Amino acid sequence: MNPTLSVQHLSIEYQARRGRVQAIRNVSFDVNKGEAVALIGESGSGKTTLGLGIVQLLPGTAKITQGKAIYHRNGHAIDTLALKGKALREFRWKECAMVFQSALNSLNPVLRIADQFSDTAKAHGYLQGRALADRARDLLSLVRLDPDRVWKSFPHELSGGMRQRVLIALGLLLEPQLLILDEPTTALDILTQRNIMDVLKELRQKLDFSLIFISHDLSLAAELADRVATVYAGKIVEMADVQTTFREPKHPYTIGLINAVPTLKGTREELTSIPGSPPDLIELPTGCKFHPRCPLADAQCKQNEPELEPISPGHQVACWHWKLARESLNKFKA
Amino acid sequence: MQRLIDTLTRTWRETVKTFKLLSRNKMGMFGFLMTLTIILLSFVGPIIWPPEQSANVADINQGISAKHWLGTDFQGQDNLRKVINGGKDIVTVAFLTGVLATFFGVIIGSFSAFVGGSVDSLLMELVNIWLTIPKFPLLAVTATVVKLNDPVTLSLLIAFLDWPSLARQVRSQVLSLKKRDYIEAATMLDLGTRNIILSELLPNMMSFIMISMIGIMTFAIYQQTSLVFLGIVPYSSANWGVMISAAERRGVLFNQQAMWSILAPMGAIVLFQLALVSFARSLDEVFNPRLRTTV
Amino acid sequence: MAVSTDLSTNQLDIWVIIDKIKNNFLLRRILKALFTIWVVTTITFFVIRAMPGNPVEIMIQELTAAGVSPDDAKNQAAALLNINLDEPAYMQYLDYLGNVLRGDLGNSYKSRGLKVIDIIAQVLPWTIFSVGLSLLITFSLGIALGALMAYKRDTWIDNLLSNLAATLDAVSPYLIGLLAILLFGVIWKIVPISEMRGALSPGVQPEFSFEFFVDVFHHVKILLLVYVLSSVGSWMLIMKSNTISTLGEDYVTVARARGLPDSRILTAYVGRNATLPLFTRLAITIGFAVGGSVLLETLFTYRGVGYQLARAISERDYPVMQGVFIVITFAVVFANLIADLLYGWLDPRIRIVGGND
Repeated sequence: MNPTLSVQHLSIEYQARRGRVQAIRNVSFDVNKGEAVALIGESGSGKTTLGLGIVQLLPGTAKITQGKAIYHRNGHAIDTLALKGKALREFRWKECAMVFQSALNSLNPVLRIADQFSDTAKAHGYLQGRALADRARDLLSLVRLDPDRVWKSFPHELSGGMRQRVLIALGLLLEPQLLILDEPTTALDILTQRNIMDVLKELRQKLDFSLIFISHDLSLAAELADRVATVYAGKIVEMADVQTTFREPKHPYTIGLINAVPTLKGTREELTSIPGSPPDLIELPTGCKFHPRCPLADAQCKQNEPELEPISPGHQVACWHWKLARESLNKFKA
Repeated sequence: MQRLIDTLTRTWRETVKTFKLLSRNKMGMFGFLMTLTIILLSFVGPIIWPPEQSANVADINQGISAKHWLGTDFQGQDNLRKVINGGKDIVTVAFLTGVLATFFGVIIGSFSAFVGGSVDSLLMELVNIWLTIPKFPLLAVTATVVKLNDPVTLSLLIAFLDWPSLARQVRSQVLSLKKRDYIEAATMLDLGTRNIILSELLPNMMSFIMISMIGIMTFAIYQQTSLVFLGIVPYSSANWGVMISAAERRGVLFNQQAMWSILAPMGAIVLFQLALVSFARSLDEVFNPRLRTTV
Repeated sequence: MAVSTDLSTNQLDIWVIIDKIKNNFLLRRILKALFTIWVVTTITFFVIRAMPGNPVEIMIQELTAAGVSPDDAKNQAAALLNINLDEPAYMQYLDYLGNVLRGDLGNSYKSRGLKVIDIIAQVLPWTIFSVGLSLLITFSLGIALGALMAYKRDTWIDNLLSNLAATLDAVSPYLIGLLAILLFGVIWKIVPISEMRGALSPGVQPEFSFEFFVDVFHHVKILLLVYVLSSVGSWMLIMKSNTISTLGEDYVTVARARGLPDSRILTAYVGRNATLPLFTRLAITIGFAVGGSVLLETLFTYRGVGYQLARAISERDYPVMQGVFIVITFAVVFANLIADLLYGWLDPRIRIVGGND
């Protein structure tokens, strides 16, 4: 069965005053039907750029320098990066919906929620009038909102959490095959966060869509994802199913990330963080981009950048010393 | 005392930085230099080329010629010379008004923004009400009862009418700056309202203040020349506004040769206003990154 | 308005009323308008009556110099300016207010026998027509061009229009008027300027006929052009800036992500949101246009209120000056009120009728 989305050798650059920012460098990964893939990384790692790139919503200063994003549905395959005009508009939201970070300002302030739904439906020749209202209200209930309260209101009359949920409902309106969620809970308080995570889990059970979940929060990824990809300096450095990622990570960066999250039970260990800061994407370090912060780095790491290699079925790592990773865990705690 | 010196130094440095950035913008440099030229000509010019004392009947209403670069007027006097002599009043009033209105606008605006609360709301309501009143008719009507023979009184009157709009703009600017962290830090360090305004807010608002002042000046030029044109302010001297008014009354508009006696002073006013505005616009572009066209 | 009727006391609760007023946008706005008008009438009274060298004294002096006895002079001046000089100042003020409310603005000094209110009634419609129409054109043009400039940012069109707008904005309206007369009437001779003086050709009667409208338009077109040219610049620039900001907003990106057609995004997403803040500019523009009418109508000999005011000023016809000024301000305040209410209606974040404040 063909994967819903197959990103192949994608590279994206931005033009900045100082030089060219290499936001995404030769990234390839697949998202299978009904699967949830989490893209985890620090701020500035390029994960949002990746999401934007797939639906061609990058700002004017960005350029896709190479690569394809092959989308499969019912035996047809298209490269989303090659779509233009009407085809692109039809693809957007109907096949693939991207829900942005912080929905605080994602809805038109002068239109009621009902109008935002009907706008979207009308643009795609979807249901209208009563049928649309019924379906939309069902979706709103699905995301645990009270349709009566929300349907006729304006965005500013709803809280941040409610707006986020409206946006998710809106995203599901046209029954897309692929949903991209970019930091859906970052700007929200803990309780609302919990609420939305529960909603998302329910949705995954009830509906059948593939999900790309972009976040910096590992614990959220653990809840929702089937597979996890860690992104560093515009590249995927490790990709595995969620269990393996958390039980047997092999890339020092992934290990560092996991260690930085405190555990509820277990011994009271010291919290560690990864020393140093993310690299400058305009002037990247030589060789492996993580080597300045990596306890396992040696001359080879400084010179050559490792590619993603499969080390066991379903587990890929981009590291010269992945075999030593587990043992060197302790070095972070030094 | 030391505080004052510090503030002045900081403000000076900011201004110098402004000019350095400004020099990159050609339009702005042109505007700035043109403004300086006009000011210089208006004040130094009359000393070198004093106004003609008598009429030259033979040369009435001539167009451009080698002898009279901008033609002559209804009295046969050289237009160029009159233009050079005609700027002093206009420039003086413009500057005085600008400085006065900016001074009051900035003080009251930043005070209101800083104090906030009901004082702020009240002040702003008053300003809003004041702003709805059409300025020019009020100015014209007041001008009939107040003697406006000298530039200072005129400037005071115009500044009195114009400062509220500036106060409102300053206030919103200060409000947005107030939210920035370094102001919060200063407040928490309990540095005192006056100190904060002087040493933290003002230096960062220099460009904004300059732009606003230029706006006021442009408007003041318009207002004073309009007053002259309507005959409300007496013809105490032959400034540009008077030149235009006098020429228009003599139907100069309909005579192709004679029209230079109107075109010349008009050109001077327009040039002055344009110079001021280009200077202000470039200041705006320099400090408002969103408007910038290059990265 | 809710009236709290306590059965035992049976009186209106003043605090409930005040509270309702504070929370009701419409009421507040109307009160502000009324207050402004009151302020203006008071200022006018102050200027005309109370300042040193005020018109009353001048009139009395002039009359006495013309040989009228001091008492008669006082009486005549009082009658003309509609004040009773024997009464204490505050009574005069109240009389004055009462008269204004009744629409009695006194008689013209120069044209005895003509009531000020009649003079104004004759000329006001012309100004409303010219200023109103020009404002409509300015708004539409300014919004359309401003949005165009934002969308075509940094192209030659944007640069050309931006510079044009800034230049127009910098030059005084009456200079534009003079230039218009010079260019169109004298140098290029496109329009017969001398014919165009005044609002109507002699002999044409005001009536609802085609010829009438054609004639009116023939006379007013350059004036309209000048009004528009003097205000459209700043509108274009502000609209451009607003549109650029709006284009950068999240909901526009999301709208594109939702696959909405460009036309819809332009109107309902960008257009409406970019235009809303312009309403705050409306007040200034209306005031500016009305103020400019004093000069421009004089320049074009267009007999509207501005022309009337200018004439009254040069003739020192104080009753007319006073009356016209009050009417002008009233008109501006009223127009602003409408504009504010319109804004309140259009922006769902501000609701006119009670509710969420």
